[in-house]
Amino acid sequence: MNRLAAIAVRLESLPGAASPLPPPAPAGRGNCVDAILSELAGLLERLDTHQVAATLDLRSLPMSPADRAELQRVLGPGELRATLVASGESTIVDTAIPGIWWTRHHDATGTLTAELLEVTRIPPILVNDPGELPAASAALRALIAARQRAAS
Amino acid sequence: MSAAPAAISVGEMLRRHGISRRGFIKYCTATASALALPPWMGPAMAAQLRDGPRPSVIYLSFQECTGCFESLTCSFAPTIEDLMFDVISLDYDDTLMAAAGDAAGSALAAAMRDNHGKYILVVDGSIPTGASGACCTAGGRTAEAILREAAAGAAAIVAVGTCAAFGGIPFADPNPTGAWPVSAIIPERPIVNVSGCPPIAEVITGTLLQLVTTGKLPDLDGHGRPKAYFGNNIHDRCYRRPFYDQGKFAKSFDDEGARSGWCLYELGCKGPTTFNACATIKWNGGTSFPIESGHGCLGCSEPNFWDKGSFYAALDTPDWGKAGESTGTQVVELTGGAVAAGLVLGVASAGTSRLRQHHSAGSGNKPGAEGE
Repeated sequence: MNRLAAIAVRLESLPGAASPLPPPAPAGRGNCVDAILSELAGLLERLDTHQVAATLDLRSLPMSPADRAELQRVLGPGELRATLVASGESTIVDTAIPGIWWTRHHDATGTLTAELLEVTRIPPILVNDPGELPAASAALRALIAARQRAAS
Repeated sequence: MSAAPAAISVGEMLRRHGISRRGFIKYCTATASALALPPWMGPAMAAQLRDGPRPSVIYLSFQECTGCFESLTCSFAPTIEDLMFDVISLDYDDTLMAAAGDAAGSALAAAMRDNHGKYILVVDGSIPTGASGACCTAGGRTAEAILREAAAGAAAIVAVGTCAAFGGIPFADPNPTGAWPVSAIIPERPIVNVSGCPPIAEVITGTLLQLVTTGKLPDLDGHGRPKAYFGNNIHDRCYRRPFYDQGKFAKSFDDEGARSGWCLYELGCKGPTTFNACATIKWNGGTSFPIESGHGCLGCSEPNFWDKGSFYAALDTPDWGKAGESTGTQVVELTGGAVAAGLVLGVASAGTSRLRQHHSAGSGNKPGAEGE
């Protein structure tokens, strides 16, 4: 491995970020990754042009583990990773392609219950519901009042 | 099992149980994924159910074996408990409910009255009209009379199982009880057929969820079945399909081809003419499906599957039906041949007439009313 470091290379992107030109797919893999990438490209253009979000359900697609790993590798890691703890843990991860999010929902036992590629500016599950805000204000006012009562 | 909880919204009930909005969206997303519904259905389901009351569902069982209900109660996602307690208000089901006799009849009447025009009527089993409907009665009333009354106030009807959808085994020749599918008794109301003997549990719950969420009938195929689940035939989605394309067929259930997972077409598999989701959603929480277990598809989600000849004859085997049987017993000779041929033709004509009758029943033609 030490000899690898001696080989002269030219970095075209930061380590860990998705390469703009991924290497060819390994032999033996299906072509669904290319199909999904093409569909994502179209959905991304639609999001940009018409502000229409879309979602792909990865569990409904005939993907092998190798396909899934390849898709994850090509999309690459983004900058944002959110963890939701509600009836089990969920991860909502920004990919290196802005506007494409990789969402995984697990139930309380840790079983994967949904895996989505969301093409949106921000996944709706992360955004607060305006209907919750009045109750939130009231709850915070009550907390402040309780603290003031305790202090006096 | 009372009608009262229908007034509480799903969102309110979940809040009382400490389940957050995000938790509910997540549950709906996972449910939509498990049921192979479009991904947008998850958030749409959450938004629709959060603020609205739980839709009332009335489940009636007629001439059936309870296999369909067994399938429904074995649903993995959502479970029947999820459906009953979180999403719908199951106001009447004579298999599950504790009440019996007049109390059960009163519960049905109250559910129909309180939710008139808004409830979803689920029907399981065919409706016998022979012997003045005496083959299936409850509380002294015929199945046909109960169905007609319940259908009159329903927003939509879901015919669960091949018996309710197409007549099923009771409808098979010689149909001793004069059985008919729901669509033949109630041709004027919107009906969704969820066929199968039994249907896949997730297909039943998915269809119900889609109905209560969108408030609209799903896109249906020519047999009134949701395209989302019945849009593809088993053959095209079968993992053994590559062997069919290569011409590799098992010749018997224990030969080398069968052990190697080759196509079961020559052993009678009806996958090429059967539309259902068995090869994709599978059974028992996605564990397997009949072909994966080594047996050909019986075609149980198709109309008249019981009358289509042997389950073990390849689809391209000529089916002579009754006429074929008759030629084996009738001697057609040149002398008196016209009489013998007439006999054969008569039987063949009866068979054709019978097929036509089956077809018209599947199309929803109304039988002669023999109810109360």
